[in-house]
Amino acid sequence: MMRALAAAIGKDFRLLARDRVGLAFLTVAPIVVITVAGFSLASLYGAGPRGTTAYVLPIADEDGGRVGRAFRDALGRHEAVAIEEAASRTDAARRVERQRAGVALVIPRGASRTLAAGRPVDVELLTDPVKYLEVASLRGLVQEIRHDIERRARDRADRRLAHVRARMERTRVDFARAAETLAHELEALPGRLAAAHAATASRAHAVEARAARELRTALATATELQASRLSARLAAELGPLRRFVAELEAAETAFARWWRTVRRQAGRYADRLPPPPAPPRVPFAVSDLVRMDPDALAERLVGRSALPVPDVAIPSVRTPAPPALPTFHVPSLPEPPGIALPGVIEIVERSVTGAPERLNTFDQNVPGFSVTFLLLGMLLGVSLGLLDERDWGTLARLRTMPVALDVALLAKLVTRFVVGCVQMTLLLIAGRLCFGISLGPEPWALALPTAGIVFAGTAFGLVVAGLAYSREAVLPLGSIAIVTMAAVGGCWWPIDLEPRWMQRVALAFPTTWAMAAYNDLMIRRQPLAAALLPTGVLIAHGLAYLAVGLALFRRRGFAAP
Amino acid sequence: MPSAIVLADLRKRYGERTVLADVDLDVQAGEIVGLLGPNGAGKSTALAILATLVPADEGTAVVAGRVLPREAPAVRRVLGYVPQDPALYPTLTGRENLRFFGRMLGLGAHAAGDATDRVLELVELSERADDAVTTYSGGMRRRLNLACGILHAPRVLLLDEPTAGVDMRSRERLHAAIGALAADGAAVLVSTHDMEEADRLCARTVMLDEGRVVASGATTDLVGASGIAASLSLRTLRPPPPDWLDGLGSVRVLAANGTRATLALDDPTALPVLLARAARAGGEVVELRFDRPTLADAFFKLTGHTLRDGDGGGRAS
Repeated sequence: MMRALAAAIGKDFRLLARDRVGLAFLTVAPIVVITVAGFSLASLYGAGPRGTTAYVLPIADEDGGRVGRAFRDALGRHEAVAIEEAASRTDAARRVERQRAGVALVIPRGASRTLAAGRPVDVELLTDPVKYLEVASLRGLVQEIRHDIERRARDRADRRLAHVRARMERTRVDFARAAETLAHELEALPGRLAAAHAATASRAHAVEARAARELRTALATATELQASRLSARLAAELGPLRRFVAELEAAETAFARWWRTVRRQAGRYADRLPPPPAPPRVPFAVSDLVRMDPDALAERLVGRSALPVPDVAIPSVRTPAPPALPTFHVPSLPEPPGIALPGVIEIVERSVTGAPERLNTFDQNVPGFSVTFLLLGMLLGVSLGLLDERDWGTLARLRTMPVALDVALLAKLVTRFVVGCVQMTLLLIAGRLCFGISLGPEPWALALPTAGIVFAGTAFGLVVAGLAYSREAVLPLGSIAIVTMAAVGGCWWPIDLEPRWMQRVALAFPTTWAMAAYNDLMIRRQPLAAALLPTGVLIAHGLAYLAVGLALFRRRGFAAP
Repeated sequence: MPSAIVLADLRKRYGERTVLADVDLDVQAGEIVGLLGPNGAGKSTALAILATLVPADEGTAVVAGRVLPREAPAVRRVLGYVPQDPALYPTLTGRENLRFFGRMLGLGAHAAGDATDRVLELVELSERADDAVTTYSGGMRRRLNLACGILHAPRVLLLDEPTAGVDMRSRERLHAAIGALAADGAAVLVSTHDMEEADRLCARTVMLDEGRVVASGATTDLVGASGIAASLSLRTLRPPPPDWLDGLGSVRVLAANGTRATLALDDPTALPVLLARAARAGGEVVELRFDRPTLADAFFKLTGHTLRDGDGGGRAS
């Protein structure tokens, strides 16, 4: 019994050892799946392996103040975020619409001032809800930062309030002390005012007497000065008169001399000469005036000693009595006013891609798993179907017949294509009826990516059939291909979970383009145009697979010469 | 009349292994020629070259006047190929298989239907025509396999071991059907390692061994040319004495072991005398078998291999 058991076990180990494909499948397939799933789900728990999963977050800082800087600094320090500066809100929204990012952050204009004034601020998250985990992750991060900013603002306000309160308390004490001093001063003020009034009156009397004296002296001086000025003026005024009188007297003397000369010369006829007319006489008053000293004349005219000094009466200055002082009451200082704390930051989310805020997970799962099983059916159906035909011998038999083998291959692909399209359509209808999935604004547009992925999957089945030499090889090869394409291509989870480099790698897989089209049409509610590019790429994939598959088929001798 | 099938100096290698070497043969219209040889002799490769499935490396292959592989498409229009293992769609019915292959052979829908009914009658499968092939016995599948190859009444029919593993009744029916096709003018080349089939079905036989033609001609000519004597195997009740065959010049001992002996009879007329002497010398003859020489014996004589074993390790009996 034991020997038989040992022999049987030995036989099974030998069978296993010789099934290299099976062993390779057991070893390689899990590694492939682990690798694909590990990298694909790297962002599921936030941090990614080797920092390769940072989310791109465009920030449009319209505020340019403390709030914007706080968000930018905090997000910039976070390893899970790679921030990009957006020129404007429109630019940020465009980046999300074009799926370069799942979320964009907009700090509105005046946010810092509004927040400091204690009013609420709406910080906007422009989102693509299809990128659910990215949105959730960044939403949480922004909330966290928001709370941190609010907490720090409150702390800052508290510190400032305490400082103001202390300063006001010191001011209040100083004020009370000053008020007390003022009250004392006011109390002593009437006595001081009366003394000052008396001193002022005494000083006024003295000033009056001195002013009278000084005034008289000034008047005397002025009178003296006026007299001397008068003398000088009289001298100046009488000068011509005196000169005339002197000249007149000299002329009389000269005439008398001339007359005597004349008479002498006339000799005997001196008597016949009539006497000359008598010159006019200078009145005495004039001659006296001419001969008089100017000072005497001035004194005679004005009379220096007789010039009286006027008695100027200096009006006495009366100092008014000080008015009655008003009663002064020191007002009591009010308590320091309450300082407003900073306002709160509200996070407002807005979808900019057309997708609703709340998603139906079946919108992702129905097309995703439908594509997976579609590929399974297409790939295994085509490749195993061809291998079946090879094993049945019908493929060889067909090669001996007039109809080209390519016709038989094409027929198989067309059949699978039709079945695949019907299968996908039924799955979408079932998804609609059972799970209420969205079929988008133009449900018939789903026919484009459906036809594209079915074509690509069918043609890829031809490639697998061309590469795999046996049914045993098809299963691992096909399974690994399907698992990789489905997982990396976003059929099992949103592709945005994957690191950026893997998303770029995923562009090589038809599943990626199919899911992009389904997501755009079904979740983002985009029109038909959104599916044109992905469908074109899917058809290109299909044509490439078809060419490679046929070449492999011919190279391996399946086809006729 | 030109030959419907001509192979001349045909060579084919798979890697380092030579599968066919300087093979010559021809088949006339209405003639059934057997390609006899053990497994691995190159029979199927020769048929595959004629069926346009693989190209020859060297030499000439002509079918219905068309040179292969250059004129393969034209050859396929006149060719009927019946592979060794039934090449059928197992989940389709016999009729569905026939209709499909009829269309692939270039028949219109109506003609394919008529041809289907005709060949079903010929291979006696009309009653089971609408059953899935998976429900057929091995013999029925081989008959259906043959029917699929003759739907379009081919001018050249290639049969690769058509009766392998088939019961006697089915074999008879297949032979009858093949004979009917040849009678209608088809050139038939049958690959087999069954000497009886070759003997009964084929007018001529070409013996292949390790890719080379070792002999060809009518069955009786091949056996006669081999010079092999008939043999007699017997067992007596007790061991006969060593000299019990003295005086019988046409009898030689091939093997002797106690009560058993295998003897060669160059002259079959000596049989009665031999049996009488054996009864006397051994007490009684308890077992007796008489074998006439066959194609297998001739093949063994020519190659040292049996027809059943590809490695040539056995002996003909």
